[in-house]
Amino acid sequence: MDKIRVLMAKPGLDGHDRGVLVISQALRDAGMEVIYTGLRQSPKQIVTAAIQEDVDAVGLSSLSGAHNVLFPEVLKLLREAGAEDILVFGGGVIPAEDIKLLEKQGIKKIFTPGTSTKTVATYIERAVLEARGEVKITAAAKPQGIDHIGIAVNSIDSAAVFYRNHFQLEVETVVELPSQQVKVAFLPLGNVTIELLEPLTGDGVIAKFLEKNGEGLHHIAFAVDDVQQRLDQLKREGVQLIDEVPKKGARGNNIAFLHPKQASRVLVELCESHDTEGG
Amino acid sequence: MIKRRPPEFAAWQKQTVEELKKQPERKELFSTSSAIPIERVYLPEEMDDKYVEKLGFPGQYPYTRGVRTTMYRGRFWTMRQYAGFGSAQETNKRFRYLLEQGQTGLSVAFDLPTQIGYDSDDPMALGEVGKVGVAIDSLADMEMLFEQISLDQVSTSMTINAPAAVLLAMYIAVAEKQGVPKEKIRGTIQNDILKEYIARGTYIFPPKPSMRLITDIFAYCTEHTPQFNTISISGYHIREAGATAVQELAFTLSNAMAYVDAALEARLPVDTFAPRLAFFFNGHNQFFEEIAKFRAARRMWAKIMREKYGAVNPKSMQLRFHTQVAGSTLTAQQPDNNIVRVALQALAAVLGGTQSLHTNAKDEALALPTEDSARIALRTQQIIAYETGAADTIDPLAGSFYLESLTDELEAKAQQYISLIERKGGAVAAVEQQYMQREIQRAAYEAQKRLEKEEEIVVGVNRFQLEEEAEPDLLQVDDRFVEQQLERLALIRKQRDNQLVQQSLTELKRAAVGSDNVMPHIIEAVKHYATIGEICNVLREVFGEY
Repeated sequence: MDKIRVLMAKPGLDGHDRGVLVISQALRDAGMEVIYTGLRQSPKQIVTAAIQEDVDAVGLSSLSGAHNVLFPEVLKLLREAGAEDILVFGGGVIPAEDIKLLEKQGIKKIFTPGTSTKTVATYIERAVLEARGEVKITAAAKPQGIDHIGIAVNSIDSAAVFYRNHFQLEVETVVELPSQQVKVAFLPLGNVTIELLEPLTGDGVIAKFLEKNGEGLHHIAFAVDDVQQRLDQLKREGVQLIDEVPKKGARGNNIAFLHPKQASRVLVELCESHDTEGG
Repeated sequence: MIKRRPPEFAAWQKQTVEELKKQPERKELFSTSSAIPIERVYLPEEMDDKYVEKLGFPGQYPYTRGVRTTMYRGRFWTMRQYAGFGSAQETNKRFRYLLEQGQTGLSVAFDLPTQIGYDSDDPMALGEVGKVGVAIDSLADMEMLFEQISLDQVSTSMTINAPAAVLLAMYIAVAEKQGVPKEKIRGTIQNDILKEYIARGTYIFPPKPSMRLITDIFAYCTEHTPQFNTISISGYHIREAGATAVQELAFTLSNAMAYVDAALEARLPVDTFAPRLAFFFNGHNQFFEEIAKFRAARRMWAKIMREKYGAVNPKSMQLRFHTQVAGSTLTAQQPDNNIVRVALQALAAVLGGTQSLHTNAKDEALALPTEDSARIALRTQQIIAYETGAADTIDPLAGSFYLESLTDELEAKAQQYISLIERKGGAVAAVEQQYMQREIQRAAYEAQKRLEKEEEIVVGVNRFQLEEEAEPDLLQVDDRFVEQQLERLALIRKQRDNQLVQQSLTELKRAAVGSDNVMPHIIEAVKHYATIGEICNVLREVFGEY
């Protein structure tokens, strides 16, 4: 496996280079070869350097607000030079809505202030190796299936009416989880259970969710063999976790949550099958 | 009991009486909520030689306790919020809003093309026009920027370095058009090129000709704009780039000495230009260290000016400074927390005796501040001034064992660095050898590693995080104005007398090649609406680029 080569660049006139220098050093410490262009590079200069240096990735830093013009220009020139396989990521003072826009245009990832250097290094390494085809996402098998779907409701009693009247689904059991300030009703359907989640008090996780979003889909849970093993794998892959170690779920089984950020804003739960014998 | 009264004490008392005649204090009687009277300054029982030598009295050498006799009891610091974005017209509106809200000085942020001497239509300006500040191409933009703001009523600070001469020339020209004589204008140009090479990046020319431009400005201003600060020697950006408090202090004073050396070499007598040297420091997180830093800076500068340079005018020895609180400590996560950070940093600056202060807006880690967040930032310092009583007695923390020890330590450690830089041939040589740049980078990387190992905690970033963050309202600079700016520029080029422009640029070139002061020629050129790009290109031709 060749060393990962990264070109770090400051497009435009911005002179803030603390971030780009710190990231460059961190990537070097993570075993990559890093070339830093210095200040005031035009997109053309950056693309020329990227091709000459035969890099795997280009990191662009801008804190002056010129990102919306300069970052896409780099992408465009890379495409024109037939070098669209070079991954482009960016960082700086970049508002959330611009991030969406830039990532849609083909910037692989934008890192904002406060991101740890480790996250950046892990992400780039992963992305480059994937792009080179040197690593497939770990051979871990697909999840066994969907274990359950969690729906946040104001009241289990009134929510259950819909499922009973129109789908003949019955509440099988109701469990109270004081530790999470939540009451859970289980409505099984084949291998999947629908969970209705009602807040016990005003300040649990579900109460906050309802306050912010109103009723609706709260999470989807995958059934997996071993939650800890999955967490280790996801962590290596740079996926942001909420729980780094498994905790006990409503049915006493091991569960853990992943951060919604990378899952199209859906909260994903991993869940060891509760009805597996022995194990 | 007879207490020893050193002669310096009597001098301070006498000076206070005179000062009070000129400027009475804000209140006749200062007192606490419990009706305990608050003295002007608190002093040790024994004012021994050591006390006089290290701390002295407010407005007295070595100025550790402050550069003014009555400090904030006479007048608060100047509340000066850095602002500017988009067009001159938009920024003019924000300026007038801030003045209406009780701000007492203006501070202009220029966009990067202006700061690096490019016109808005230069290819290098792509994407940057009006982004981090206001776009100024010619005198026409400057006239619009100060419309309905009388230049004898405000003091204006301009964050401009490599092309400082051009913007100062425009300011002088606007004043003249308003009928304000240039002797009366007040303000500051940053004009500190050394820290641009070290930390901020908006240099144009190589160090040597850059230093010449600076001494030309010193010479011109000493004669023509005696109330204008000719430079603001800045530790702010050095600190933002990752330096420690000691490095900020040491590198700033080393740079200051390089400017003094250059001016002396240009045969300017020290006491003519030194009184107009101003400083600009960072107000960072560690509360006591920051207060100590400001006090140490004053004491060190006073000594340097008197002992090394033989200054005799007290004003040459007084380190007057502006403070901006640390932008790099603002977090994108839970941005409301930044209001609290800013308040504490600002309080440290006030307890350290700053002359003017910029408090950051909470959303600056995400974008430029909105009007709401800019107002909260200003209110923060108004609360410190009007509600806390922190400004009611001078240098209130003096005599604290901890603070005095920190002040001494910072001075000693900074002095070691300064001596090291002197051995390298001074700040200009050290910059050319990349010495300071490397020191700062190392400090920045170390700080980041400490953060990631959680040896240092940043609330909301590596501890006390929230799972999901609401997206705040942000200011978006309207891009449509760029087109208008380009049209305006084209129109100016068409309407002005291009022959006069060419003539004045030729004259400027002649002066730049020779040794005439370039300032009068730049003023002449801007009056004929030569653009900043045209003027800087003449200088690029003569001086080269860094």
